[in-house]
Formats: sequence, C-alpha cells, structure tokens
Amino acid sequence: MTQRISKYQRFVMMNPIIQFFKFIYLSIRIMVVVAGGHGGTRKHVK
Amino acid sequence: MSKIVILGAGISGHVAATHLRRKLSKEHEVVVVSPNSNYQWIPSNIWVGVGRMKSKEILFPLAPLYKKKGIGYKQAKAVSFFPEGDMTESSPYVLAEYVAGSSKGEKEKVTYDYLINATGPKLNFEATEGLVPGKNKTYSVCTYTHADHAWEGLKDVINQMKAGKKAKILIGTGHAKSTCQGAAFEYVLNVEQELRRHNVRNMAEVTWISNEYQLGDFGMDGVLMSYGSMSMKSSEMVEMIFEDRDIKWILGAGVNKVEDGVAHYENLDGEQKSESYDFAMLIPSFSGHGFKAYDKHKVDITDKLFKGFMIVDADYTAKPYDEWSVQDWPETYQNPTYKNIFAPGIAFAPPHAISKPRKSKNGTDISPAPPRTGMPSGITAKLVADNIIDSIKSGKESLHHKGSLGNMGAACIASAGFGMTKGSGISITTYPIVPDYNKYPNTQGRSLSKTFGNIGLAGHWLKLALHYAFIYKAKMRPFWWLIPE
Ligand SMILES: Cc1cc2nc3c(=O)[nH]c(=O)nc-3n(C[C@H](O)[C@H](O)[C@H](O)COP(=O)(O)OP(=O)(O)OC[C@H]3O[C@@H](n4cnc5c(N)ncnc54)[C@H](O)[C@@H]3O)c2cc1C
Repeated sequence: MTQRISKYQRFVMMNPIIQFFKFIYLSIRIMVVVAGGHGGTRKHVK
Repeated sequence: MSKIVILGAGISGHVAATHLRRKLSKEHEVVVVSPNSNYQWIPSNIWVGVGRMKSKEILFPLAPLYKKKGIGYKQAKAVSFFPEGDMTESSPYVLAEYVAGSSKGEKEKVTYDYLINATGPKLNFEATEGLVPGKNKTYSVCTYTHADHAWEGLKDVINQMKAGKKAKILIGTGHAKSTCQGAAFEYVLNVEQELRRHNVRNMAEVTWISNEYQLGDFGMDGVLMSYGSMSMKSSEMVEMIFEDRDIKWILGAGVNKVEDGVAHYENLDGEQKSESYDFAMLIPSFSGHGFKAYDKHKVDITDKLFKGFMIVDADYTAKPYDEWSVQDWPETYQNPTYKNIFAPGIAFAPPHAISKPRKSKNGTDISPAPPRTGMPSGITAKLVADNIIDSIKSGKESLHHKGSLGNMGAACIASAGFGMTKGSGISITTYPIVPDYNKYPNTQGRSLSKTFGNIGLAGHWLKLALHYAFIYKAKMRPFWWLIPE
C-alpha cells in the first residue's frame, strides 16, 4: 500500500461537515451540467 | 389515434413510456413489451453485490404501475421485426413471445405506428468460454439476480478469510471488447471497502483486470478533468485511488477463457497469461440481441435494421481513429430506412468506439467498446419520445429534439464504498461524452469547466440520493417529471 492520499486530504474527504457543503456544491454543479442541455453536432442543409 | 410500442422497460424504455403517457392524451395507446416483470435501478446493483442493499430495494413490479397509469404492458420478448407488416397484416408489427402467465410461449403480432427499441444490450457471456455467472467462482453484477449471487459468493470468501485462508479477488472486464468498466470500477472499490469493514483486508489480494490501455479510460478514451484547483487525467486519479487502497492492476487484458479459479487472457504484447482467483466479478461483452427483420414478402432485411445493435442516424462509414468526429454520432436515434422506428439507450449501434482501438501483437482487438450510461440512456429516450409526440400532434414528422453524445454531458457518480459516515464516492462529470477535439483541442476534447472530478463522502450521499430520486421518478410519484434524466 502506498499512501497517495495525505492525512489532511483524507480528513477533508471524510469530514461530514465539510462534505455536507460539498454535497450541496456538487449537486448544483452537476445540475448545471445536466441542465446545460444537449443538441446536435451537424450543420443541417435545408 | 396512434399506437406507440416500446420494447424494453429498462432506463430508456421506461423513461420513454412514462413521458409519452404523460404528454399524450388517452386516445393514443402506449404499450410496453418487456420480459422482466420488474423495473430495476441497475446502478445500485453494486451495493446488492456487496450485501449493503437487498435486491428488493432496487426494483418494483411494472404491471401495477402501468395499469394505474394507463400504459399497456405485455410480459413478452420481441423476437423479430416486420416493419412493413406481412401478407395478412398490413400494419408494421413486432413478433413477441410471452414469457410468463397463461400465454407463456404464445406469439403475438404487436402492431404499431411508432416503435421504440429500448432493449439495451444482450449480456454476451457466451463470447468468453466459461464466463458463466455463479458457476465457477466468477460472478456478475449486471442484473439484480446476478448481484445477489455475487454477494453469496463474496460472503463465502469473506468467511473463509475470517477462518484464516488467504484469498485472491479479481474484478474487471471478462472480454477483450467489454464495456461498462465504470460498474466494475465501483464494484472493486466497494468490495475493497467491505473487506476492511469485515477486518479481512490483510488476507486478500485485490486485482483489477481490464481491456483498457490505461487506468481510467472507462471506454471514453480517458478524461482530462478539473480537480480542485488543478487539472488531472482520469488515469492519474484512478492510479492514486488504486495505490492508496492497495489494488493491483492488469491492463490491456482480453480475457478469453475462465475456469474455476483461473482466468486466462491475452495482453497487448500478444502473450497468453493467466490469473488465479478465489472470487471474480467480470463484466461480459455486450452485444445486440440477434433480432431478425423481414419485409412484407418475408424477405430477410435484417441488415436494414441491425448492425449488431439497431441502425440509427449515425455515420457508419469505416474510418481510422484520427478521422473520427462527433458528427459521426447519432442525433435523433431514428432508423434511416423505417422512420417510425427509434433506438435510444444502449440499443442503438454506435458508429465506432470512443477509446482508441488497439490490437495485440496477434491481431486480437483489445480495447473497450463505447459505454452508454444511465444519464444519456434517459436523455436519448426522452428526446425520442418528444419527437414522436411532436410528430403525432403536428401530423407530420418532427425531429426538432436532438441529442448527440458529442453535445451532451454525463454525470457519473461512482461509489467507492457504502456507508453514511464511512462511505465515499467519486463524482465525475464529463462534457461532452464523446470528445470533440475540434472544439476543445487543448483539453483532450472536453470542456474543463464542465468536466470535473471530486472524491469524498459527499459522493456517496449523492449516489444514494440519486438512487432514491430515480426510483421515485420511475414509480411516477407526484411531480416525478421535474427530476431530470
Ligand atoms: C452494474 C452496473 C452498474 C451501473 N452503474 C451505472 C451508474 O452508476 N450510472 C450510470 O449512469 N449508468 C450505470 N450503468 C449503466 C446503465 O445501467 C445503463 O446505461 C442503462 O441501464 C441502459 O439502459 P437501457 O434502457 O438502454 O438498457 P437496459 O437498462 O439494459 O434495459 C433493457 C430492457 O430491455 C428488456 N429486453 C431485453 N430483451 C428484450 C426483448 N427481446 N424484447 C423486449 N425487451 C427486452 C430488458 O428486460 C430491459 O428491461 C450501470 C450498469 C451496470 C451493469
């Protein structure tokens, strides 16, 4: 095992209070990508 | 009055059926033909496979819901397609065979005005010799029954480790052309966490085996993402996680034979190797269902409808990797020959892979097939439903709703372990799913503002929240349609 994630990083990743705010932040960021919509990629000649 | 028949009640079939029913008046008929009597939220199968969820928590029976909502339902499987009807039936139809109840074994011509083929993949276990889930210590988590068996197998091995026996655990892809690496990735991390929870981690050697050239390829050619204040490649992220959790890896591996306790594979150097195991979960290759299609004179026209999966508005011209473009990918999922047939979700034939194709020194193709995850499956099903609704309402073909995987984002919340305080998840968003190297030449084809990664407990809560939200939505509870695909 190689400790690639430092103790501080792990604390941030697993701290429920920090992660609660992260949860809200991530939900919003994901919604922005989802609500960003989708469409075609081709130019259509009419 | 129009009749819309939907084949399959997985993520895409169910999304299409529910939106069609909500937006079309009752004079129009919506009929679902699907062999499985239950709806299952497949992404939570990985938790069933480690015993942290019961399969009944991820499924519900379709018949009562469809009855209540006015959606017709036939517990049957499509067998063959007759898009022009035949000499005795003038309407197009699908020949379906009932799989349960008093009509079991009987066949019916299910006629339609519009057909949505949402039959997803065939789990092609037969393509790998010996890859039979649960028969030789190799399991699958692709369905809830498979996941139940996987947990039985894992529990056994955990008990053996508790009794002092060391064990080797092998998780990844079971074929040179498998896809769905994401599901196997989630499973290996969940298994690793469960081993720690059961205090047997030191007794186990955990190995990831995959047809990917690099870690974190996921069938999407890897992803460059923003991670905190820097940018990071998915290969670096996965390597960091695997090293941190002491998971070994074997890459470029085309598993070609599985025996009880030994998986045989060829690597990109053309070497034939093997890896022993006490418990394995290997994702099979996915294929089309082998449907046949006939014209009204019963002449075989399968090649007009299928290329393995269903042919849609993609550009299937064979091209080298350097010439692939986002324009190759379909926008409306409409069959070019029979314009009242559509195939969203996994059911459509992709124009090519997303990851760079690679061959071993012996000429064996060893690289991932393109994934089509839950979110694009839902989005493509909804846009197909919207185009059909517009066409019915306007009385002429309408294809305004478009959604190419080259102009669509996906959110992948990969579970890295279950638990309200000890769990974790890897949240990754990717935009676009198929990299657009012309639009984003310096960031490996993706927008860095919309492609990001995050690791932590919040990821587990997100995945759990999505589990409940999507089951709520699938059950068509009040305001279900406000939850996006
Ligand atoms: C273990 C696992 C975990 C996953 N995790 C995630 C995740 O976390 N996030 C994510 O976005 N995606 C995930 N995916 C991928 C996701 O599940 C798929 O993208 C999605 O299920 C595809 O939907 P679909 O409707 O096209 O196919 P399916 O869900 O496979 O549905 C196909 C339907 O067709 C029916 N059918 C089959 N044959 C016939 C026939 N002959 N006639 C009629 N009906 C038929 C089947 O019974 C089924 O109802 C995961 C997949 C797996 C296997």
